[in-house]
Amino acid sequence: MANQVSIPLYQKLLDGFDGKFAIEQKAEPDALRQARQKALENFRKSGFPTTRVEDWKYTNVIPFLKEDYALQDKAKAGAALAHAVEAATIEDLDSYRIVLLNGQLQETATDEKLPDSISIRPMAEAKQEATFLNYFGKGTDVEKHHFAALNTAMFTDGLLIEVKANASIDKPLHIIHAFSSENNLFVQPRHLIVLHRSAALSIVESVVTDSSAAKIFVNSLTEVVVEENANLNHYTLQTAKKGLRQLQHTEVNQKRDSVYSNYTFSLPEAELLRNNLHVNLDDEHTESHLYGLYLGADQQLLDNHTFMNHQKAHCESNEVYKGVLLDKAVGVFNGKVFVQVDAQKTNAFQQNNNLLLSPTATINSKPQLEIFADDVKCSHGSTIGQLSQEAMFYLQSRGIGEDSARAMLVSAFAFDVTEKIKIPELEAHINNLITHHIPANQELIKA
Amino acid sequence: MANTVDSNEIINDFATKEYEHGFVTDIEMDIAPPGLSEDTIRFISAKKEEPEWLLEWRLKGYRAFLKQDLPEWQNFKLPPIDFQGISYYAAPKNKKKYNSLDEVDPELLATFEKLGIPLNEQKVLAGVAVDAVFDSISVATTYKEKLKELGIIFCSFGEAVQEYPELVKKYLGTVVPHSDNIFAALNTAAFSDGSFVYIPKGVRCPMELSTYFRINTQGTGQFERTLIIADEGSYVSYLEGCTAPMRDENQLHAAVVELIALDNAEIKYSTVQNWYPGDKEGKGGVYNFVTKRGACRGANSKISWTQVETGSSITWKYPSVILQGDNSVGEFYSVAVTRNKQIADTGTKMYHLGRNTKSRIISKGISAGHSNNSYRGLVHVGAKADNARNFTQCDSLLIGSECGAHTFPYIETKNNTAMVEHEATTSKIGEDQIFYLNQRGIDSEKAVALIVNGYAKEVLNQLPMEFAVEAQKLLSITLEGSVG
Repeated sequence: MANQVSIPLYQKLLDGFDGKFAIEQKAEPDALRQARQKALENFRKSGFPTTRVEDWKYTNVIPFLKEDYALQDKAKAGAALAHAVEAATIEDLDSYRIVLLNGQLQETATDEKLPDSISIRPMAEAKQEATFLNYFGKGTDVEKHHFAALNTAMFTDGLLIEVKANASIDKPLHIIHAFSSENNLFVQPRHLIVLHRSAALSIVESVVTDSSAAKIFVNSLTEVVVEENANLNHYTLQTAKKGLRQLQHTEVNQKRDSVYSNYTFSLPEAELLRNNLHVNLDDEHTESHLYGLYLGADQQLLDNHTFMNHQKAHCESNEVYKGVLLDKAVGVFNGKVFVQVDAQKTNAFQQNNNLLLSPTATINSKPQLEIFADDVKCSHGSTIGQLSQEAMFYLQSRGIGEDSARAMLVSAFAFDVTEKIKIPELEAHINNLITHHIPANQELIKA
Repeated sequence: MANTVDSNEIINDFATKEYEHGFVTDIEMDIAPPGLSEDTIRFISAKKEEPEWLLEWRLKGYRAFLKQDLPEWQNFKLPPIDFQGISYYAAPKNKKKYNSLDEVDPELLATFEKLGIPLNEQKVLAGVAVDAVFDSISVATTYKEKLKELGIIFCSFGEAVQEYPELVKKYLGTVVPHSDNIFAALNTAAFSDGSFVYIPKGVRCPMELSTYFRINTQGTGQFERTLIIADEGSYVSYLEGCTAPMRDENQLHAAVVELIALDNAEIKYSTVQNWYPGDKEGKGGVYNFVTKRGACRGANSKISWTQVETGSSITWKYPSVILQGDNSVGEFYSVAVTRNKQIADTGTKMYHLGRNTKSRIISKGISAGHSNNSYRGLVHVGAKADNARNFTQCDSLLIGSECGAHTFPYIETKNNTAMVEHEATTSKIGEDQIFYLNQRGIDSEKAVALIVNGYAKEVLNQLPMEFAVEAQKLLSITLEGSVG
């Protein structure tokens, strides 16, 4: 493709696949090798998405791909890792903690005492297993999604998390995704989370980096399978430093009577965060909750694309995304609710509210409904606005300083999302982060 | 529910109802050979005795048309269009000008009578001047004298080019450029006729200006061009209504409407569109690909679009407002009803560029049968548009389990003083509501009509009196024997 010529990375990836990579992956099962080949062909055809692609209309990734990225790194645990882990610590949170560096499980930094009913193993070792072959790549559309195709073609490692049937894990699983490199790096972790029948789990994922000068582009893909009557609470906390550009694709498949709740918090300072969250309701009586909060500062580009795919009857989905934008940050929200012909009695609700706190911030909101069944209740709402002058005045007239008043109002704005967090320690942590990022004494309100 | 069977029948009845206004009028026509080329354009231009600059502009449009491909972003499958199979010029042969209605071809008058808009009656009906476009040429213009006294120009486009070339030249193509999109470019190249309105400074047009368009003659597309200019401090309300005879062949309709409101001016543009929607298989029917755009050039100006869309096999249009002037206001009210295999992809664009600009969008979609109804809209707030305000509401009503309703709003804000609200809902008519009305002795059919009328009322209320009556009649005909 002509437009890919200016991106050396495109050719580098293709060359990489044909060269060393092919030799390394020779031992893989046929099914996987075929899937990789197919995905690569798709990527070869489509290349990286430009803004002419509707899903990327407001998010130009091309400038972020022009760097000279290495495709492999020399793992350098030690100080950087310790630093990153510290940054990801959530005060008082009692959890099972595991740490990944550049997408690879770090045995040294991982708590040993996991219960028997949960198993966590590196993707690189799990490729031959039945669980992997059963669930891998199901529902992820590599024809439509450029980065998902690239990840499928060329991922090397990640996590496979499996919870046995009827098991309820007592403490949340805290996964720390640390990224660190001395040189510019392009990494593609791949994770698979499977909750078997009637299992229950809470996952808290933290994405962190150490503040080195190198640019790291993460193209990660997580597949989640929630089997019958299982329940997953899935929290993602993106607090990486400048230099990180991440594309996180999450593909969820839900079976009958299952509940999936996703909470995504995108915070400063990563330069680019694009979250593709796809939830497929494959069976009847499922329930899904998607909550998101994006707080952008500096020149961040925060993009949340959600896709709620109602395929069967009697399902319910509920989505609330809130955005706060400071400085020159750009926010994008694209929420699509799709109701198939068979999905009668669907209840789907979606809401997106945005606060623009700076005269130079931008928000592009695009809620979408596509409905092919008649006996449904679907709605969406989207607003863009700023803090109410009256509310500010009210608080100030009661002796609360301007900065505190503003922080209070922003916290209140975010409350619709933060109050849904079921882990009190995490809720407190996120509230602290929000308050911390609302700048004191700026001229932003006066524009 | 006991009446499930009934309501299914009613749904079927409704979904397969034959088009009531399908008939063909036999009048001799003067037709250009099918196909579009520079020669055809020169032929049209020569036929209409146009000045050189207009021909140049047409040719510019033609070249832009050649460079563009058909768009692919729409939410339906666009059937291939054979632009060379269309005849680009058709005019009733009877070309002499009429002084009174008695001189008009009686068959033509009968056509209007069947549509329920007899010119005779219109003439009596106080306050409505009718510029009837029969295919491409205006045949009767009434109340012209009365308007002339006020300095208002209301005439066919061709006449305006001859008599007011300066005005036309100054404003034509300034809102919809010749290369705006492929259909606008086609229109620029081949437009046959249309309406021209100019309201002078400070004049409030005392009556509703109205044009009834009607497509006739097999294989001719209609390419009207409407240009309305409201000078400082003026006001005009313009009505446009359409019906078309039954056809097997698809007819392409690619009109362009440009509105320009200067300081303190207000334009209200209302449309009732009821062209032939095709049979129940979706065969035949009009393609309605219209580019409508208004520019609030001056401070405190206002442009308001109201549309009731019940016809056409494909309706694809986005009446838009460019809010350039400070304190300008844009409004869009729409009811779109689709049945059988009809498709409507409609909505609006509001570009907030000036300060303190306001816009309001109310869109109501009703889909039945196998139809698909989409709302697609853009609210754009530019960096300099301080205190911009927008409210958008788009509701969809689904009747039957095989239709689709879709919403694609785009909201872009680059200014932190903007307040933008958008909400959308999709649902069916509540069984409890129907039950409530049944229980009070209102049968299901009337109940549904009542509910849908209530649902659309917010929009219908925006129509001028004369039109509202017709629109309500149209809706109730559409709703007859239906659940929608």
